Amino acid sequence: MDYMPKRILITLAILFVSLCVTAQETKTAITSKQAKITDEINLSAADIELFKQQTKQKVEEFQQYIVTLGSKDEPAEKRNMAEKEALKLFYKGAEMEITTILPDGTVQKVNRPMEKYLARLKSLPFTKVIIKFYDIAYIREFTKGPDGKYYSTATIIQEFTGFSNDDIIYTDVTKKEVEIIIDIVEDTFFQEKRWKIFLGDIKATETKTAVS
Amino acid sequence: MSAFYCRIRLIRGSILVILIFLISCPLFSQNLSDPQKEREDIFIARIKQFNEFADRFNLKSDFNGNPADSAFRAKMPRERMIPLLFDLKDPRIQTSDTRYSADYVRIKEEFVRDVIQKKLFLYKYSQGIIAEARSRVIFQGEPQKIRLFLIQEIVGDDMVKWVLYSAKGDMLNVFKTDTSMVRFIPPSSNETDFINLKRALEDTDHLQYYASHNFEPDYLTLFFSYIGAGLIKFEYVEEVVYHIIDIPGWYIKVKDFNRTDLNSGWLITDVMKNDLELPAFIKIP
Repeated sequence: MDYMPKRILITLAILFVSLCVTAQETKTAITSKQAKITDEINLSAADIELFKQQTKQKVEEFQQYIVTLGSKDEPAEKRNMAEKEALKLFYKGAEMEITTILPDGTVQKVNRPMEKYLARLKSLPFTKVIIKFYDIAYIREFTKGPDGKYYSTATIIQEFTGFSNDDIIYTDVTKKEVEIIIDIVEDTFFQEKRWKIFLGDIKATETKTAVS
Repeated sequence: MSAFYCRIRLIRGSILVILIFLISCPLFSQNLSDPQKEREDIFIARIKQFNEFADRFNLKSDFNGNPADSAFRAKMPRERMIPLLFDLKDPRIQTSDTRYSADYVRIKEEFVRDVIQKKLFLYKYSQGIIAEARSRVIFQGEPQKIRLFLIQEIVGDDMVKWVLYSAKGDMLNVFKTDTSMVRFIPPSSNETDFINLKRALEDTDHLQYYASHNFEPDYLTLFFSYIGAGLIKFEYVEEVVYHIIDIPGWYIKVKDFNRTDLNSGWLITDVMKNDLELPAFIKIP
């Protein structure tokens, strides 16, 4: 009679131990190195599609920050905040590469860390900046890298016009290739991990100069 | 409201299809001069990324980058799309140009026919897509060019990365050809514990003659060792060109044309018949 409860107890104990092991494995997979995470966690096709839509918003958000921090008419506090917020959109170590095609056809490239690029933009002598967004953004599908992050590139075309008072002192049309990275981040407030979009390196190529 | 915008986009898309189709007509392309709208149309038509080139080649996406639906496929079948992926300003296809080549036109037409009839598609992650990063380096204090060849490698089931496959550049051509004298290590050298090996290895420009007839220099290893020794400092990639040998029987070269034209962006700049696999192909100078 007392054999049955003993067997049930043993079965329950085994089940409990196996559940603990499974939970531990899952926990390990989530919290260990990112390379390990990649083997365990994947984004669904629907998630990726959603991130593709969010990518455009992120890029537009960045453009809006550029408008603010480039305009000297805006209060310094607002411009500093825009610089700070813009940087938050980027992955650590992101760079801006500006390509200039010289009249003889040769290519000249300048690379700057994003922090320096934004700081430099803030110091340019424009009282007002207008960025015209063309309703064109090509975003390639996300591809998973060996580190488990998902990578894409968005192409945007913008017309940048810098004013000094009412005079246009600089304008150009550039094509920008923006690297997009989806990575897992830890939300300290909710104490959970979630996928987040970051902007990465940007390659900017001038397509046509209207006024210089 | 959004339905209204969708409709507008659809109408614009249709107009663009017609416009892009018409750019193959030289008379029309010369008269395309509607100012602001023209620029937007150019940006939409432009093949903005290599990925977009592949999608258009496979007729997977429309000009806005959205999945190609049946209506788009009906308006722009591959018979129309593939020819538009070529550089239409190539002098070899302009009958009025002195560089016009009937042979090239014939090969180009054969390629288009083959791709359509045999339903040949481009696999984006194929090792038959070779990216050539034409780069600027500083070698011994002087700026020089180097060509780095990268291919894609699939990791696990679904992860992808680009890897360096080969390198070419003047500074990597360490061996000089000289047939004025015969260089070799004599057959009896082993008996003298290869005393003449020192002499052979001092002939620094012609060391290859002392190696096996199967010897093939590995330029990528050489490049890595130069970088490691601080002889080469990498500056930046000036231009990327794709060599595609993934389409059975064919080689195409794709490069970015940065011009204010409907026919711009990543376009086919050369097509040839090819039966070489990657290792043999990469040896072509």
